[in-house]
Amino acid sequence: MQITGQLALTVLMGIFLVGVAAWLARVENWRSYTPLASGGGGAHGTGHAEKPSGVIRWLTTVDHKDIGILYGFFGIISFVVGGLMVLGMRIELFDPGATLISESFYNSLLTNHGITMLFLFGTPIIAAFSNYFVPLLIDADDMAFPRINAIAFWLLPPGALLIWAGFLPLGDIVPAQTAWTLYTPLAAGVGNGNQANAGVDLLILGLHLTGVSATMGAINFIATIITERAEEVTWANLDIFSWTILTQSGLILFAFPLLGSALVMLLLDRNLGTTFFAVEGGGPMLWQHLFWFFGHPEVYILVLPPMGLVSYILPRFSGRRLFGFKFVVYSTLAIGVLSFGVWAHHMFTTGMDPRLRASFMAVSLAIAIPSAVKTFNWITTMWNGKLELTTPMLFCIGFVANFIVGGVTGVFNASIPVDLILHDTYYVVGHFHYVIMGAIAFALFAGMYYWFPIYTGRMYQRRLGKWHFWLTMIGTNLTFFSMLILGYAGMPRRYATYLPQFSTLHQLTSVGALILAAGTIIWAYNFATSWIEGPKVQDGDPWNLEETGMHTAEWEWFDRKIETAVTDGGEEESVVADGGGERDDA
Amino acid sequence: MNEQPGLSDQYRMASPWPMFVALGIPIAELGVLFDVFPVAVAGLLLFCGSVAGLLRESEYVSSPWLAMGVFAVVLVGIGVAFVFTDVKLVTRGYAVATAGVVLAVGAVGGSLFLPDDAVV
Ligand code: HEM
Ligand SMILES: [Cu+2]
Repeated sequence: MQITGQLALTVLMGIFLVGVAAWLARVENWRSYTPLASGGGGAHGTGHAEKPSGVIRWLTTVDHKDIGILYGFFGIISFVVGGLMVLGMRIELFDPGATLISESFYNSLLTNHGITMLFLFGTPIIAAFSNYFVPLLIDADDMAFPRINAIAFWLLPPGALLIWAGFLPLGDIVPAQTAWTLYTPLAAGVGNGNQANAGVDLLILGLHLTGVSATMGAINFIATIITERAEEVTWANLDIFSWTILTQSGLILFAFPLLGSALVMLLLDRNLGTTFFAVEGGGPMLWQHLFWFFGHPEVYILVLPPMGLVSYILPRFSGRRLFGFKFVVYSTLAIGVLSFGVWAHHMFTTGMDPRLRASFMAVSLAIAIPSAVKTFNWITTMWNGKLELTTPMLFCIGFVANFIVGGVTGVFNASIPVDLILHDTYYVVGHFHYVIMGAIAFALFAGMYYWFPIYTGRMYQRRLGKWHFWLTMIGTNLTFFSMLILGYAGMPRRYATYLPQFSTLHQLTSVGALILAAGTIIWAYNFATSWIEGPKVQDGDPWNLEETGMHTAEWEWFDRKIETAVTDGGEEESVVADGGGERDDA
Repeated sequence: MNEQPGLSDQYRMASPWPMFVALGIPIAELGVLFDVFPVAVAGLLLFCGSVAGLLRESEYVSSPWLAMGVFAVVLVGIGVAFVFTDVKLVTRGYAVATAGVVLAVGAVGGSLFLPDDAVV
């Protein structure tokens, strides 16, 4: 039995490798790399087309724009998966008991919702924007290392499969119930529960892969922004989005390898009998320190680029330049540095040394200052401006509003005496969702709407965009404000059941979640149908930015692209149709 | 013999290697972590082979076989360390070393039967 299993696996792996080699041999001729030596063949009459066609194009592309789109699709799929997970939880929470799903399944959904949204939606969807636009904004041909860029993306799908493996019907593998923080000893598989199961190992491996992916991407962005800028793009006029990506990449570079190492240590504890986080070894607190040394910078890794998006988009619809550009950049850098000095504010209640605790409180309060600087700059940018309430602008304004609530609740958390009471309650959940859903997701939606014409060449349906915004704004505030009150009332987080006195607030929260789901469905419908049959964008300035002098590099690129498509019309079939339509309309 | 250009020199913005590099890492990790010999060997082969191909394609090395040879030496070294030192991961060590040996055979065979044009 054992032996035949091994044999079957060996044969399977052999066939797999032979298949890969055969496919590679078919598409790739190893002998044809002949830049120097060969004589006659060197001419390569075929010339250099851009990309192959069909599926192969997407599997082999190293073009930053294609990879950006791949990241975008991946992020949206993850958003749907993570959203369905949380809907399951919220529907369960309509009544106090565990009526619909078991407590343990609730815990699995909770764990995977968090990890999916942070690592499979948040980081990748930001990379969708940065891959597509940073090279355009700094006028580079591509990323500094296009192939590494592709590797970084392709690590994500296997990572996602491993993370979700516990939910797939794979023998006796169970999903993790460790919560996204993976606290030991539970996550080390100690105790009588089932968390020593291989499902948890798979999740940790998957998480490790996404970390490798993020690190590769970060190195690439740092190299690209530093070395690939066009002559006329200087540090002084580098756009704000690229600044935030550069800072974010720096944070990733210091934070994610640390997470990777800690995860490997955890795997060794689980599988090979080491005692890094065992009570008799390094102790469970070591995990918390390592995790949050990564974990806090991670929240800024997620928020800085969306802040950059808002700083970039909001002025376009205010008819004015970003107020205090320099200070927005400085505050980005300040947040980047400070975010490594606050991690223990997640551990105030662990019984750590009170003097240490006080210093972490001080730095945590200090980090609110650069955050507030940005907020004031966005508000002053809009002040007396000519506001145009397009969908992307509405999402930017929603971002600012929600970020204020998220930030202020964060300051309360950072104050030790308050946190001793609120820690591990729904208040904390409300706080970070105001930032993550209310701000980060809003900014990402703003970006998707703003650049929808560039991505697809078409326009979305404006009415549906407005519906999406208002449902999302109302849903977010209903859901997460109820959570803040629940926390004040003493409802602990991470439970599938609750006392009857919390019913009303929990039901409000769940209604909010359903409103969010309705908005999301509208958004998905809008984007899908508009992509297929929306009206074609006719010129490179769909937002009329030229009027206010706010036209930027990526739209100029888009304009050139449209122009060449029209003039080249005669050459390629697909473009003829486009070009023809264009002329008909004109 | 190069009237037929490969994918990545026919198309400026395409390369077949990255996807397989990315696939090799998780397969190798799974195999080594769970101590499943064939999976570990296959994953390491896929990873090292694809990296070699990628290095050759981007012209960081002049021959993929040379890169594979270097990987083979590294893998055998790690495998031997796993088996014979205090790390004592004997079965995993054998897997890593086996991957190294197969890679070495591939490197030698490749350079004999498919010598690279560009090797001057
Ligand atoms: C304005 C500055 C901020 C301050 C002072 C702050 C402070 C805090 C504190 C003290 C906690 C720990 C609460 C507890 O567990 O008892 C916390 C939790 C959290 N914060 Fe913030 N925060 C800020 C901004 C942000 C931002 C921008 C994000 C996200 C991008 C964020 C995401 C989170 C998350 C995810 C948690 C909960 C982690 C967990 O336990 O699962 N915070 N925050
Ligand atoms: Cu924090």
